[in-house]
Amino acid sequence: MDLRFTETQEILKKMARDFLTTECPKTLVRKLEQSTEGYSPEVWKKTAELGWMGLIIPEEYGGMGYSFQDLVVLLEEIGRNILPGPFIATVTSTFPILQAGTEEQKKELLPKIAQGNLILTTALLEGDGVFDASGVAVKATPKGNDFVINGTKLFVEMAHVANCILCVARTKDGAPSQKGITLFLVDSKAPGISCEVMPTTAADKLCEVAFKDVAVPKKNILGKLDEGWPIVEMMLRKGAIAKCAESIGAIETCVEMTVAYSKERVQYERAIGSFQALQHKFADMWTAMETSRYLVYEVAWMESEGLPCAKEASMAKAYVNEVYKDVAKWAVRLHGAIATSADHDIPFYYRRGKAADIAFGNTDFHREIVAQKMGLA
Amino acid sequence: MDLALTEEQKVRKREFYDTCKELEKRKPPTFLGFETIYEDEKCWEYNLHCAREFAKKGWLALGWPPEYGGKGDMMDRVLFAEARGYHSVPGVDIFGVQMLAPTLLQAASEEIKREFLPPIARGEVMWCELWSEPNAGSDLASLSTTAIRKGDEYVINGQKTWNTGAHKADWGFGVFKTDPAARKHHNMTFILLDMKTAGITVRPIPYLDGHAPYCEVYFDDVHVPAKNIVGQEHEGWAVVNLLAGFERSGINEIMTMIRGLEDLVEFCNKTKRHGEPLSKNPLVRNRLAELACQLEAARALAYRVADLQNRNEMSLMDAAAGKIFFSELGERFAFVATDILGPYGQVKTSRWAPLDGVWERMFHEHFITTVSMGTNEIQRNIIAWYGLGLPRIR
Repeated sequence: MDLRFTETQEILKKMARDFLTTECPKTLVRKLEQSTEGYSPEVWKKTAELGWMGLIIPEEYGGMGYSFQDLVVLLEEIGRNILPGPFIATVTSTFPILQAGTEEQKKELLPKIAQGNLILTTALLEGDGVFDASGVAVKATPKGNDFVINGTKLFVEMAHVANCILCVARTKDGAPSQKGITLFLVDSKAPGISCEVMPTTAADKLCEVAFKDVAVPKKNILGKLDEGWPIVEMMLRKGAIAKCAESIGAIETCVEMTVAYSKERVQYERAIGSFQALQHKFADMWTAMETSRYLVYEVAWMESEGLPCAKEASMAKAYVNEVYKDVAKWAVRLHGAIATSADHDIPFYYRRGKAADIAFGNTDFHREIVAQKMGLA
Repeated sequence: MDLALTEEQKVRKREFYDTCKELEKRKPPTFLGFETIYEDEKCWEYNLHCAREFAKKGWLALGWPPEYGGKGDMMDRVLFAEARGYHSVPGVDIFGVQMLAPTLLQAASEEIKREFLPPIARGEVMWCELWSEPNAGSDLASLSTTAIRKGDEYVINGQKTWNTGAHKADWGFGVFKTDPAARKHHNMTFILLDMKTAGITVRPIPYLDGHAPYCEVYFDDVHVPAKNIVGQEHEGWAVVNLLAGFERSGINEIMTMIRGLEDLVEFCNKTKRHGEPLSKNPLVRNRLAELACQLEAARALAYRVADLQNRNEMSLMDAAAGKIFFSELGERFAFVATDILGPYGQVKTSRWAPLDGVWERMFHEHFITTVSMGTNEIQRNIIAWYGLGLPRIR
């Protein structure tokens, strides 16, 4: 047992921190939130040059061939600094291609993803807003060499700038709901697709994507017909861990910024950080951060080693969801009025805490998975 | 990051678990966790039996240098603690084996080590801690019980309190004011004493549930050989801090809770309310799952602390955070469990009590972890002052 980062991970971490500090200051984050695109193509290109989009893609497909654990290290830094854009959407949508893609699909898509020339996202949620298979009603019907997709997806991250949408569609009706689901690689420019950005708490460009008679060639099925749900579960699991990693970085920033401010801010002729009312809250925030961190590292290690970790991944997501929201809330509170202003940086984290909670399944969703896996009948 | 155990570690872990599983089968019906050993004669006998069994295998000296009879390493201690926690098996004297032995190894003279370590390793001598006083709790350094040097003896007068198991212990270790004129932190000595010495009176104190796991100890001209000290004379505060630094990871307590949760899940699966199993109740599911998540987080942090300890890189902050987290998780667990049991959550061990009444007991017992070994409020100060570098008001 050795919980330290490897040398490679330390280098990756430092490189990411330096890059993001220089290339993605909060002025840019603020600008991107207010922009239509929600990301900087220039920074995107540079991150591709650093190999980030191809981090987990094997070298034979033009990637770096790093492990899932290494990705977690990078995501922690991204969460610390904040990098608005389609990074997590692209990386998590890459996992299904890596696991279920044909050799042809991999050869075509993976090098482009690694080069930063293909933005990917996954369209899963619909009107019900649930993360389980019962929520998938968008239909794909066979017609000649194509499938024709009809229906509306919601909360599709960065779909408005994506080149390819991984659409989770129902290809067969009837119980149980996990059967009869198929994944389609859909060109976002295909006729019949319309996309609209939804106004959200974190201004993170979640989209409504409407499919109207969208024809998708059968060769664009990812994995097997009607058997797509286990792939979605895998993606939700890895996505949940990825989101947790990003959240740990954000939690760390909240703690650091608030502690630093409490050492500078003077009231009653002393730094407010000298008051135990604040000190004990900081101790709680720090404790919550450390428990989250090592829980996520444990799960990331299991995922990296290929060990079954559906229960542990859900434990981590359910736990970190609550910690992030709570720590960010206290970061605002302990700063006082100053952090309630939109000009302050802490609100970025508070708002993104809510988005992180929802992404890849909220707390109650994951607690129910835990309840099942821990043997509650 | 690598959480894998080596093949050898896996084998030893199996052996720890197998042995503890066997010992668990011999527990008396009155045994309901670690504290009961001090309250019930059968439980104390069970504790001594487990101690002897562990001693035979050399497991009371895990991580000690071989010259004092040690075997294995720090990781073995962690794995052993895990197994004992999961099967809720006593036999490892928290005071002798877990606190005093590592302190002696680092701070005691060769003579003291040779005299006191072997009986601890053999599971023969049980210890108690003599620290707190009526007017010296969190501010331990303000203690007033004196040990005045007279020739080759100290003569002790005063009172100690909250001494868990003092009525059962053979020996005690404590801090006493040896130089009343000197300034705070440089006026006390860490002394080892035989609890049968003339002039010692031990009185059990009833805990809030009526049990008596702890005592107050009175000293009336108690003569102790002057050689029985650890560290330098008058510099006992340094030894106290050293001992406090051997903070346990909490893995033992966490594994006990993990087992408790497993038993509670089983109970919920087979107990019907409103005509269907409790396990079908979405609130029960949600609350138990929440505890499971927090337990996993506690376990992950415990491994972090253990990992640091294994490399002698003890982090005061992480140990404090771990203690706060697992002890307050114990509180929440007791509250949730007694809630789920409904009216049965108030029933003490009896034919009406579900799960032997263990949760009714835990409803009281959780204070032992939040209040002792440095209250959680003191732990929060440690994180704020020494970890986050926040200013300290004096």
